Amino acid sequence: MMAMVTFVHKLPSSFAYTTQQELTRNRRAITQAPNHPLPTYKLVVVGDGGVGKSAITIQFFQKMFVADYDPTIEDSYIQHAVVDDDSCVLDVLDTAGQEEFSAMREQYMRKGDGFMIVYSVTDPNSFTNVPNFFTQILRYPMLLVANKVDLAHLRKVTEKEGRAMANRLNLMYMETSAKDPPQNIDRAFHEVVRIIRNHPKELSEERRRRRPKCLVM
Amino acid sequence: MTMADGKPNFRVVERLKIKIGDAKNLGKGHSTLRDGHCTITLDQEEIFRTATIEKAIDPFWGEEFEFEIPRRFRYLGVCVYERDRPLGRVTVRRDQLTSFNDKDHWFPLRPLNVESEVQGKIHIEIEFCESRGRLNVRLNEACELAITNGNCDPFADVTVRYTNDKTETQRTKVKKKTNSPVFDEAFAFTLPGLGGIPKQHLSGQSPTADWAELIVTLYHEISGSNTVFLGQVIIPLQGRPVSAWYFLQPRNRKSSLREDQSSNYPSVGSLRLKIHYTADHVLPSHNYERLKHLLMNSHSVQPITASTVYLLGEIIPNKIDSAQPLVRILLHHGQIVQTIRSLAIWEISKVTDANTIFRGNSMVSKMMDESMHISGMRYLHETLRPPIERLLAERRPCEIDPNRVKESTVIEHNFANLQIYVEDVIKAITTSALKCPTVMCQLFHTLKEVAITFFPENKEIKYSVVSGFIFLRFFAPAILGPRLFDLTKEQIDSQTNRTLTLVSKTIQSLGNLVCSRSNFKEEYMQRMIQAVYTEQNITAVRQFLEIISASAGPAQCTQDTPVTLKEGFLRKITTWMLTKRAQGRNKFGRKNFKQRYFKLTTRDLSYAKQKGKESLCTITLSDILAVERLQQESFNKNNMFQIIQPERILYIQANNCVEEKEWVDLLTKMCFSNSKRLTLYHPAAFINGTWLCCKSNIERTTGCQEVSTSVDHIQTSSVDVDRELSRIHALCVAHIDRFDSVLKACECKAVYPGDRLCLPILIEDPKTTFITLSTLREIIYTLEQEHRTVLRTIARETKYGSKQAPIGDDNYLLLAGRKDLSAHHQQKVW
Repeated sequence: MMAMVTFVHKLPSSFAYTTQQELTRNRRAITQAPNHPLPTYKLVVVGDGGVGKSAITIQFFQKMFVADYDPTIEDSYIQHAVVDDDSCVLDVLDTAGQEEFSAMREQYMRKGDGFMIVYSVTDPNSFTNVPNFFTQILRYPMLLVANKVDLAHLRKVTEKEGRAMANRLNLMYMETSAKDPPQNIDRAFHEVVRIIRNHPKELSEERRRRRPKCLVM
Repeated sequence: MTMADGKPNFRVVERLKIKIGDAKNLGKGHSTLRDGHCTITLDQEEIFRTATIEKAIDPFWGEEFEFEIPRRFRYLGVCVYERDRPLGRVTVRRDQLTSFNDKDHWFPLRPLNVESEVQGKIHIEIEFCESRGRLNVRLNEACELAITNGNCDPFADVTVRYTNDKTETQRTKVKKKTNSPVFDEAFAFTLPGLGGIPKQHLSGQSPTADWAELIVTLYHEISGSNTVFLGQVIIPLQGRPVSAWYFLQPRNRKSSLREDQSSNYPSVGSLRLKIHYTADHVLPSHNYERLKHLLMNSHSVQPITASTVYLLGEIIPNKIDSAQPLVRILLHHGQIVQTIRSLAIWEISKVTDANTIFRGNSMVSKMMDESMHISGMRYLHETLRPPIERLLAERRPCEIDPNRVKESTVIEHNFANLQIYVEDVIKAITTSALKCPTVMCQLFHTLKEVAITFFPENKEIKYSVVSGFIFLRFFAPAILGPRLFDLTKEQIDSQTNRTLTLVSKTIQSLGNLVCSRSNFKEEYMQRMIQAVYTEQNITAVRQFLEIISASAGPAQCTQDTPVTLKEGFLRKITTWMLTKRAQGRNKFGRKNFKQRYFKLTTRDLSYAKQKGKESLCTITLSDILAVERLQQESFNKNNMFQIIQPERILYIQANNCVEEKEWVDLLTKMCFSNSKRLTLYHPAAFINGTWLCCKSNIERTTGCQEVSTSVDHIQTSSVDVDRELSRIHALCVAHIDRFDSVLKACECKAVYPGDRLCLPILIEDPKTTFITLSTLREIIYTLEQEHRTVLRTIARETKYGSKQAPIGDDNYLLLAGRKDLSAHHQQKVW
């Protein structure tokens, strides 16, 4: 049985927090309140540089395709979303792909509830780097995303190869394009949410680990 | 580390990289760990310490340490502390380190009092006499004993246990204040009940007691009966015990030498570590000549995909593993620019979108990283330390995300704080161009050139290519994680961490010069970026990028507008035509100096009578052969410098020494990669038919002094090339099966061109690739044989039980282990 947690309802628009702890506390308050329908999922988008992580994220949040490339250091976006008729708050962290940042990556790797590993079907290098990201994340729900499928004439990594990789790593696989008209962008994010929801055991274990006071025998 | 027993031909270099992740189940129930930190120890010597985590249930450190191991050791330890109280320790024996390589592992934390880490060794002589009726034991000396609280007053207990479990103990004197005591004491034991009468051998059926084991235990005496255990040696006495050096072992460690002694103790939690340990066996230089030669020639191999450097990058699974030693070797031999150039041309030719060149984790970007890391660390520190130190000293709040502040009223204030820090960093970076190491500038120049050739219509690319490295991969990560780049040793709290993130983000956006385009990203960042995206900052960034990628070579694009780098009044000597001066106009009075307005752009140097007036003379940068100071005697004027051109020398006087230095440094930098750059020059002028410096009276004679080297010194002298080459050798040996599959693929492709199925990597030219690879494999094979010979000799010559290889020595076992591995390879592969 879970202990009741004092809880203040906040709409996503006024979703305010000063520190990381407070953010997590708010989120947990929302997640664990038995009557409330608004759990927050922290999603992290990882993958090599230039594969389109920001394009995917911005397409999902702003419904827009950004053609210009401005490398990301670390951006976060929060939005209300409805997945399978259930409302939730999606807190998405868009990350740097360059390996120079890998030493700093671990901090958010630990905080995410779900991950998207993105590669570009036009860049075989980004595909071969997928296992590196996989081993860094390891224990969380993950989705493998093959981006830029609109560039069919430049495609170097086939769907078959992508699916084989997904099978090998035991991941779900999805092909996307952030370019207008977008393909599978919303589906990809929703899929991660579904995967998180379908891993209640792991998630609750994770929660317990983080906040053992909730564990009342 | 050289082998101690006089083997100058062979050395072992050990490197350890260790990342401390998080701890869990810290055996404190569910209470919070307060002020927790970790230490890394070699045996018992602390070598590193992490930051302190204030409060956490499952603390996360996320710190990485990389170092060369300076001495022999037996145990690597990582200890978790709460304040000064140790909670538990992970101990890994040296010979087991490699088995944890490259992957995160959860290690059990053991309580510290189990004496699992014991160090030191002791020389024991054992001798039976009177037909095993008497045992003489002699303790000669011990060394490298553990030091407890700065003290070591050791003594030893010598105990004999008999088969009937009776024991007899004798004790040495206490040796004061030494961890390498010389005991030099002898002890005699007699079998009980025999009284010195020779004992009859009844094939183990003896009714009386027999010798069981000898136990030598070392203690440190604190006071009176208070002692600290230092280690013990247990020697079975049934067989023929050996007089030898013995490693001290933990207590209660029976018979088996390889038993994991601490597994019986309860775990007090787990610690996640990622360990990477390498021990390279480095042979004398001449062994690596051919391998080096092969690497040096990489840039000229056509196609580049058939070159050694490219193939190593593809075949060794982790690109960084091969890029690291390769870059060091190439930097040391001055080949890095050509090699990266060849690889970059190939990489760019495969790119379709100019926006994303060099943005992935390719061999070029890896090698660039590594080059910047090696040659640019001092530059990074000089540039970023002052602004980061200020930021860390003040730690003003800078949060500008309305979602992350309690009250929106503080945002204005925070915004102002952040802007100050950002401007600080921008200024530090944009004024640092002249300090940027030459090799980095040459690399930036090369990549810029290559990019312009492939995307001539893209006006922004000459900036984005350079900023993609200097900002995105050099400054931005360092600002984000200053501790990792040794910019500070201070602790960084979460608020400061956030400030650093915001600064890093703003700097990166400005460096990328695409502010207007990123309107769709985080809303709250827009205002900050707009605020620093001033005309002044943009110009400063452009100038900075121009200078660090400058060259006046002919490839400089003429179609783009030159950027002004420096301008101002200087005085020049009116008669600068050497010929004219030779005709007799050799008096230089004040009237010969004319004030002119000089302007240096990315394309040329020009001067006019006044600012804004039409220029009187324009010198293309590629025509500047050298820029040097001029000896004061020449014209009896201070602050003079000369701009040497093919047909003439321009003598200029600056207003003061600071200006003189600025002009000379900037001009030198801009012209440093000129193909026609001189090697020798005259530090004085040619006056009255004589060079004042070398007294030569031939005007056209070559200079008498070497031109200045660049402002910086590439610190390549510290590169241990042989060691890096042996690293490559070891990598190749570890992945030799991949070599073979690529070789097979080459043959296969040569027979069935176009067959994509059997290709593990891209092969453009199967024939050349095959030749390169088989040469490389043959070299590796020869090297491996040489290694095996040396190792075998060492194994043969090392006496187990000697001081270098005491009984119970992990090093000895490690050596033996490596020998087996290579034998296995020999059998399997060749």
